[in-house]
Amino acid sequence: MSMMIMTRRGFIKTAGFAAGACLMGVNFTKKAYAQAKEYLAERQLSVYKHDTAMKYRKSQDSPAIKKIYKDFLHEPCGHVSHELLHTHYHDRSAALKALTAKGVKLKIGA
Amino acid sequence: MQEIERVHYASTNAVPKPGAADTTFFVQVDQAKCQSCGTCEEVCSTGAIQPSDGQNGPRTVVDPTACMNCGQCLANCPFGAIYENVSFLDKIEAALADPKVKVVTMPAPAVRYGLGECFGYPTGTYVGGKMFTALRQLGFDKIWDNQMTADVTIMEEGTELLNRVSGKNKAPLPQFTSCCPGWIKFAETFYPQILPNLSSCKSPIGMLGPLCKTYGAQEAKIDPKQMFTVSIMPCIAKKFEGLRPDIKDIDATITTRELAYLIKKHKIDFKNLKDSEPDFDLGESTGAGTIFGNSGGVMEAALRLAYEVLSGEKLTGDAVNITPVRTHTGVQAADVNVPKFGVVKVCVISGLHNAVPIIEEVIAGKSPYHFIEVMTCPGGCVNGAGQPLAPDTLQSSLFKSVIARMNRRFHMRTMG
Repeated sequence: MSMMIMTRRGFIKTAGFAAGACLMGVNFTKKAYAQAKEYLAERQLSVYKHDTAMKYRKSQDSPAIKKIYKDFLHEPCGHVSHELLHTHYHDRSAALKALTAKGVKLKIGA
Repeated sequence: MQEIERVHYASTNAVPKPGAADTTFFVQVDQAKCQSCGTCEEVCSTGAIQPSDGQNGPRTVVDPTACMNCGQCLANCPFGAIYENVSFLDKIEAALADPKVKVVTMPAPAVRYGLGECFGYPTGTYVGGKMFTALRQLGFDKIWDNQMTADVTIMEEGTELLNRVSGKNKAPLPQFTSCCPGWIKFAETFYPQILPNLSSCKSPIGMLGPLCKTYGAQEAKIDPKQMFTVSIMPCIAKKFEGLRPDIKDIDATITTRELAYLIKKHKIDFKNLKDSEPDFDLGESTGAGTIFGNSGGVMEAALRLAYEVLSGEKLTGDAVNITPVRTHTGVQAADVNVPKFGVVKVCVISGLHNAVPIIEEVIAGKSPYHFIEVMTCPGGCVNGAGQPLAPDTLQSSLFKSVIARMNRRFHMRTMG
């Protein structure tokens, strides 16, 4: 009988699926899911296609990169880069602790 | 409320006060429209979106601390019930209308693969050339491409990785990428102990802001005080990033959708525009820069540099495609063989919940990797929540509303 045991959300989904299928045909959810996947894949493939069509494909080969390092930044991870392009991060765990102390339960953390 | 490209905005003039970004809701649920279907709760990695009554009532973002501002809830809501709460549109139009202000536009790589969808092009069509022309017609004085600073990011972040491997940089391995603002806030909030593992590099847009007002201003002979920089992103969390105190010189941030709105509002005939190019100094970019928009792209771009530096050999032809790191699944590990070095071990993650076991490994000192890429949105920035909605998101609402109705009836029964 274990296949009959369902979570509440599982029940809602199954019941909803059955009702949705009655309205719109059995393959509807499968199609919606495949469509979403396909949608993402189409954008990704377009990116890789355009990459292969570009004149330069590696950052270190770019004339604009060569110029900015020659004229301005001097070297990667050098002094100017450190000033302008690198950063320090900020520990936000105290705000999280304050929130969970109020009784808010999240998916991540204790 | 104003509807822009099928998404609602609280206002076109909603900019948080200085210092208030941490306490601002970047997305929120319209209580009147929410059908309690629970889709947003499922797609939220942190659990920031919950029933407002603790039972099964309309959902709400509980607190800005818990929300990484990624907006995947908004992008997946079948009822269009989740709205954007921050918009710089009016501020940008005021800057464009002011002849004294030099307005600089900084479009992200992924925008040019999504924008066309708002003008009837098939999904994913590359419309970069038309986008640059449209930006000029809107009155932007300079197009300095964020894709160019993706290349700068590779030079910096790739070099940082090589320095960590050689021991020249004492920071620990593995190195995590730092381009994604949802991921950065996630690490800062839930796992501050791994902050030394994050690349110290700002994101490409974090680098471009200051480069516009220094190098760009110098090359173009513009007074940086007269300059107004506009970041255009496939992303809602980038609005938060632009307001961070450690990120300077980004004056406004809009999404792909809001750019489409501007183009339509100014009656620009997008489909019939000729292609053009960005302005050179901070404009020319490479394939390595454009693949930043995909999950695995930052990794592949960095490997194209690391491979050549470590091996002393040139990558040519098909070898430039480092396909083992290309993915639209949540976690992908790969070994990349590099001559004269050995195996570079990498991992590519999209979806923050997928990062948790990998982070736990790092904290336990058991991580096998050199370099780990994390993106908040499934599949990467091309699927960011600032992009045009997938055509079926709202179309599926009839099906979802059936679930929601049953959900409510079921709930009423259990409550009774």
